[in-house]
Amino acid sequence: MRRMLGVAVVLVIVGYVLGAPARMPAGAQGARTVTAALYADAISLDPEDTNDNLSLSIEREVYDGLLGFTPEMKIRPELATSWEASKDARVFTFHLRRGVKFHDGTPFNAEAVKLNFDRARDSTHKLKKYSLYEMIASVDAVDDATVRFTLRAPFGAMLYNFAHPGSRIISPAAIKQGESYIARHPVGTGPFKFVSWAPGQEVVLERNPDYWESGQPKVDRIVFKLVPEDASRVAMLLSGDAQFVFPVPGVQVDAVSKASGVSVQRRWSIYAYYVALNTQHVPFNTVAVRQALNYAVDKPALIKVVLRGTARPLDAPITPGVTGYSPVQAGGWPYDVAKAKALLSEGGFPNGFTSTLWLGVQTETQRVGEALQQMLSKVGVTLRLTPMEAGTLSAIRFKPFNENQSQMNLSGWSPSTGDADWGLRPHFDTESWPPTLFNLAFYKNPKVDALLHDALATADQPRRDRDYAEAMRTIWNDAPWIFLYNSQILAGERSSVTGVYALPDGTVDLRQASLTGK
Amino acid sequence: MIRYLGRRLWQMIPILFGVSLGIFAFIHALPGDPARLLAGPEASGQDVAAMRARLGLDRPLVYQYLYFVRNAAAGDFGRSFRSGEPVVRILATHFVPTLVLSAASITLAVCAGLGVGILQGIRRNSVPDYLSTVVSVAGISTPTFFLGLLLIYLFSVDLHWLPTGGMGAGLRSLVLPAVTLAAEPAAALARFTRSSLLEVLGEDFVRTARAKGAGERRVLARHSLRNALIPVVTLLGLQVGFLISGAIVVETVFSWPGLGWLMIQSIAFRDYPVLTAEILLFAVEFLVINLAVDLLYAALDPRVTYA
Repeated sequence: MRRMLGVAVVLVIVGYVLGAPARMPAGAQGARTVTAALYADAISLDPEDTNDNLSLSIEREVYDGLLGFTPEMKIRPELATSWEASKDARVFTFHLRRGVKFHDGTPFNAEAVKLNFDRARDSTHKLKKYSLYEMIASVDAVDDATVRFTLRAPFGAMLYNFAHPGSRIISPAAIKQGESYIARHPVGTGPFKFVSWAPGQEVVLERNPDYWESGQPKVDRIVFKLVPEDASRVAMLLSGDAQFVFPVPGVQVDAVSKASGVSVQRRWSIYAYYVALNTQHVPFNTVAVRQALNYAVDKPALIKVVLRGTARPLDAPITPGVTGYSPVQAGGWPYDVAKAKALLSEGGFPNGFTSTLWLGVQTETQRVGEALQQMLSKVGVTLRLTPMEAGTLSAIRFKPFNENQSQMNLSGWSPSTGDADWGLRPHFDTESWPPTLFNLAFYKNPKVDALLHDALATADQPRRDRDYAEAMRTIWNDAPWIFLYNSQILAGERSSVTGVYALPDGTVDLRQASLTGK
Repeated sequence: MIRYLGRRLWQMIPILFGVSLGIFAFIHALPGDPARLLAGPEASGQDVAAMRARLGLDRPLVYQYLYFVRNAAAGDFGRSFRSGEPVVRILATHFVPTLVLSAASITLAVCAGLGVGILQGIRRNSVPDYLSTVVSVAGISTPTFFLGLLLIYLFSVDLHWLPTGGMGAGLRSLVLPAVTLAAEPAAALARFTRSSLLEVLGEDFVRTARAKGAGERRVLARHSLRNALIPVVTLLGLQVGFLISGAIVVETVFSWPGLGWLMIQSIAFRDYPVLTAEILLFAVEFLVINLAVDLLYAALDPRVTYA
């Protein structure tokens, strides 16, 4: 009797398992769904309290901002149809799109915009994106469809702050429900409405039928799945469980490209990778030594071997694609071992020296570190590698000058606003010494400071471009960094979808997703 | 026995107190600043300071600990630094997947491990015995990560029989992670059961039972197995303890949102409230499992009684 029961139980379980495909959730059949597998979970879906790329990526489908970015990080209008900036970059006026509604039916107007920015710039809320808004002195709803922002001081890069994925417009009714509500239940004007979020698993969005842009969106559902392991993510792409995955690790690009029905999306990122040299301490307080190290690193070889060709040498302290960029040395700093040795002698170190490199623990980072170790040993520089996990590394790197023991720091940076100010000032301005910002080289050059501040104080782009070009030339020759490479953003997509993009700043944009029927 | 049970449960309280103090001190001694990690890579020093105030980390440590104990006693373990969600809810949502995966893996491991081990013990030095040994050693030696990915590529990408990961497809999602996770414990149990059974089968009382005319099946079931299982139960307790703590590698490879994955994330972000509560949960689990193992001894070994 008991044996028969056991057999029956086993049969029921087996039947359930095998019958699973027939029990698809209602509504999924026939719905045009795009599944995207991303490398981490969102932390919060409140755009003004978000600074991680995953949350920003998901927010981008649910919300619009006054402005947005194209896949090439150019500014495009969203909820604002046109705008003017005052000559001194202090007053910004936006003309708003009419007839737009939030997902909960609340009408979109200047009052809603004012409410959003007042909330974000209120320092008592301690929202993570406060620094994007702290320079705003006042927000005025001039009329129902016009908003004027007045800044405390001129800020030439302000338009980029409005296009930043953190500057999204939340429904006033949702704001009234409080911070913890918005973090879990985003309500915006975007092409997709929020359906559900199973933390650690997936976020589900569905089509907004009343979206203001005609013809959009082109699919009914988007599902963002969290898949932390690189190899598993690629497996999902290959098996078809996901149509879009980000990122694809460099070492698997070849395998994925060769698979059928699948392709790799490669786009130049705005990430710049470098080694910061502590310019206030021996031996890096001598410019000849710093330049020598730049000559000693064979960047093309590094890119070819370690990065599998998914990068290019830096030719300026910031990358192409950032507004205000201009190349300083085409092709990057040349590789010349003889010159490196000569400069080291000139700097007082004919027999080289020993130094410590701090870096992260990711596989690729460590291999870059090992490559640097090998290359620098050829000119007599012995490198000790000290990999540390992110928490320890950030605690130790950003200590104030008197306590900071940095010698060499391997790091990367992308200015999420897409503007040269945020690419250069945090690293090269004297005011940006840790812990205030990220000048890990403890670089100090009053001429550069003056240029950076001048560029910030004006909205006249040609003038800003000139300031930045001169600042970058100075920085390049001073070599507070070993300038390494600009990486590619690698995403995988199936031929059954199109309109899905991985952007240069490391976020993804699925607003224009559509199914090709292939 | 009831008094024994009561005493053991009562003893857990001071143990957990001590554990919580230890965890608290240890977590706060770790390098790494949660405020900086949560403020993000683009945060200025000012942003970090604001975050620190927001998280309540600028208060003296002793005050923070007492505040924690007072709330914990009432069942409130605070809110996650990272997401702001109540810690209890986070643990609950991640506990269920771990429980499901652990239960499935333990069941598989016990059935496969004990079954193979017993078969080997009965038919020692035969071809099935040698083959099973090879498979067992392979099971112990294969890195979990590698096995998991191998299974995914075979059964998901190539054959399309099973999903690549996540929990979405019901029982079908459970198959690969459970098999991957069960491999090593099953193999260890098989080896251990085999040797334990062989040892018992060589004992005097077994020879006596055979001399008195008991059939082989009776010798096995009535006399040998219970004794052979005693040391196996110890091993099983340890295995279960580790499985319940969340199998980090399997959860990562299969995107299974369990406690192991939560642990890794909380450490990376120095999410103190979640970490503290989670480690306390593991402490409770280990204490309970130890108790269960001790009770199993009493059930299996007639020489063992508790007052």
